Amino acid sequence: MTMRKLALLVLAIALAAGALISCGGSGEEAQKAELVYWSMWNETEPQAMVLKDAIKDFEAVNPDVSITVQWNGREIRKTLQPALDAGTTIDMWDEDLERIVKTWQGYALKLDDYYAQSYPSTNGKAYSDTVMASLQNHLKTLSTDGGLYAAPYQPFVVAVFYNKDHFKEAGISSLPTDWNEFVDACAKLKAAGFTPLTIDDAYMDLPIGMHLNRMFGNPGDVEALVKDRGELWDDDRILSVAKDFQMLADGGYMSDQVATNKWPAGQQEVATGQVSMYFLNGTWLPNEVMGTAGEDFPWGQFAYPAVNGGVNNSAATFGAQGFQINKDCAHPDEAFALAAHLTTGKWDEELSTKTYGAPMDTSMSWPVQISDCEPIFAGIDGFIPWSGGLAADTDAFPVVKAAFTGLLTGKVDAEGFVAEIKANL
Amino acid sequence: MKNKNWVLAIFILPAVLSFLLVFLYPTIRTFVMSFFYVRTVTDGMAKWEFVGIANYLKLLGSTMFRQSLKNIFLIWVWGGIGVFAVAGLFAVLLTSEGIGRKEKSFFRAAIYLPNVVSAVAMATMWIQYAFNTKYGLFFTIFNALGLEKAAGFQWTSPDNQFFAMTLAYSFGMVGYYLLIFMAGIEKIPRDFFEAATIEGAGMLRKFRGITVPLMRDVLRTGIVMWSISTVAFFIWSQMFSPLDPDIGTITPMVYMYNLVFGRNLTLTDPRLLNSGAGAAVGVMMTAAILVVFGLVNLLIRQRDLEY
Repeated sequence: MTMRKLALLVLAIALAAGALISCGGSGEEAQKAELVYWSMWNETEPQAMVLKDAIKDFEAVNPDVSITVQWNGREIRKTLQPALDAGTTIDMWDEDLERIVKTWQGYALKLDDYYAQSYPSTNGKAYSDTVMASLQNHLKTLSTDGGLYAAPYQPFVVAVFYNKDHFKEAGISSLPTDWNEFVDACAKLKAAGFTPLTIDDAYMDLPIGMHLNRMFGNPGDVEALVKDRGELWDDDRILSVAKDFQMLADGGYMSDQVATNKWPAGQQEVATGQVSMYFLNGTWLPNEVMGTAGEDFPWGQFAYPAVNGGVNNSAATFGAQGFQINKDCAHPDEAFALAAHLTTGKWDEELSTKTYGAPMDTSMSWPVQISDCEPIFAGIDGFIPWSGGLAADTDAFPVVKAAFTGLLTGKVDAEGFVAEIKANL
Repeated sequence: MKNKNWVLAIFILPAVLSFLLVFLYPTIRTFVMSFFYVRTVTDGMAKWEFVGIANYLKLLGSTMFRQSLKNIFLIWVWGGIGVFAVAGLFAVLLTSEGIGRKEKSFFRAAIYLPNVVSAVAMATMWIQYAFNTKYGLFFTIFNALGLEKAAGFQWTSPDNQFFAMTLAYSFGMVGYYLLIFMAGIEKIPRDFFEAATIEGAGMLRKFRGITVPLMRDVLRTGIVMWSISTVAFFIWSQMFSPLDPDIGTITPMVYMYNLVFGRNLTLTDPRLLNSGAGAAVGVMMTAAILVVFGLVNLLIRQRDLEY
């Protein structure tokens, strides 16, 4: 009996103590807004370094806000949703713009009202006036209700990357704008002793996806090719696209390594000056090969050339990273203030400089390595999804990719390319 | 006596409970899940949608899934034959009397070494260095030998990467089976070999007459373990095709991963995600292992040997 009483007493004391401690805790912290940010970066990446400093700076300016960061790396694509479903407190997160809006819109706060306000880093302008208009429009098309569900940063565009010195030596005075000029440029490069073109397996789907989009004018039609299959591949336009690529193989313009290139082998071919052009890659390319190419590498970029008989010649694959705020966030104002702090003004510039990437703020200039991409971005009048919609069917995509590698390397001709796909779909 | 059983039960209880909780429960749940459409793996049972065997039919109707089955079957057969042959040969050589203690431990360590290195590092080395067609190991060797055609072989092209991947993977697995086989051979009493030597038996005769029959159990275990690791083939495939699976590199585990979590780079249409079908892949792979296990038990009978 006494034993039981003693046990009860101990329990009661423990309970009381627990209650006291938790009261004390909440009383102290009530003043401070705590934000939890799950990041798509690994702690050692240059982006994370800049974000860390930027967050420290934000905390210094806003002493009533404290931010806890969890550096997830790209695993966040798999871990975020289960964590949110399980009720973990995550106030904001970031990832690719298309991904966060299309998959996590349901968890996110609609930011239209916040876009209209100004923040310390926007120089008195509204947030919406500092962020690229093309990306805002893009954001609206991604969401189901036309709302803005993210604050973008680090915009990118897919373009042809080339070595300006090689072009100069080969006597190419103006950049190719259509397919004939592109093939001409390849011929001139080859005549001057250069290997004109290369690409890696990781990006192999981009040229064919882009070319088909230029030809058909609509990603939906390209998606149908892999989804509905069959007779769609008998369309003359496909043969014409294939023949365009066959010209590259027939001319001997592709690097011998293309069939076997495993990323980043092809990027290194360009970075070491062995090859003049990388067929298609994102604005992040100079940063990825900085160790080999160095800061002074004569990078140039031009938009994917217009296609003979094509209709969608100014559309491009572009996007950005974006911050999203939890719709259940207890301090949404502070969270958006942080997002604005990170994506505009000083820290946007810092991120752009440190990662040789594009700035978000329209008043900033782009790093010299990717400065040609700025006008490309400005000239975009349509969106082409990554790989142009060919990835819409997971069974068909590898078949198209393998056949296209064969076409580009001269293993099959245009007719053989179409036949191979039809036989394997 | 009765009292003792009771104590025993108490001591076993935690182990049994944790086994049921972390092993049996997920297994049953996965099996049940394979008959439902489940969009994300965290969806509660209330959101599951019963579809019967539709997941299984869908998988069997998918060309890429069938390709993935074909791939692991070929890895299992050709990789298995290669690994077991090479590991067996080394095991016999390294346990023979002719070889000294020091040499034995050196070779054993050297051949096992690839298992110590992370598969990611190994695969990177193979892909970016050994297979490179400009400065790779094979290129250099074949070129030095004057075999230009072999030097120009496109290891990692879409047509050849399955072969390249199987070769690289099997290379690393030899050491593991070497250790198992060596342990098996060393367990056989020396007297048998000595007696045979005195009777005038050669190495091959001893291998056929003593090593193989007494190694049945080890071989059986080896085959089952090889089957399990082949079914779980994932990292090498991811290293060869990190963003999207290719025809030559897709395996059921990669297919399942993409079904459950989506692709690595490009956004997968959320409507294509199906954890239920992913569970069905798991169930089918488990069934495959059980079949192999049954066949191995049937074909290589266990015999009680005493020595």
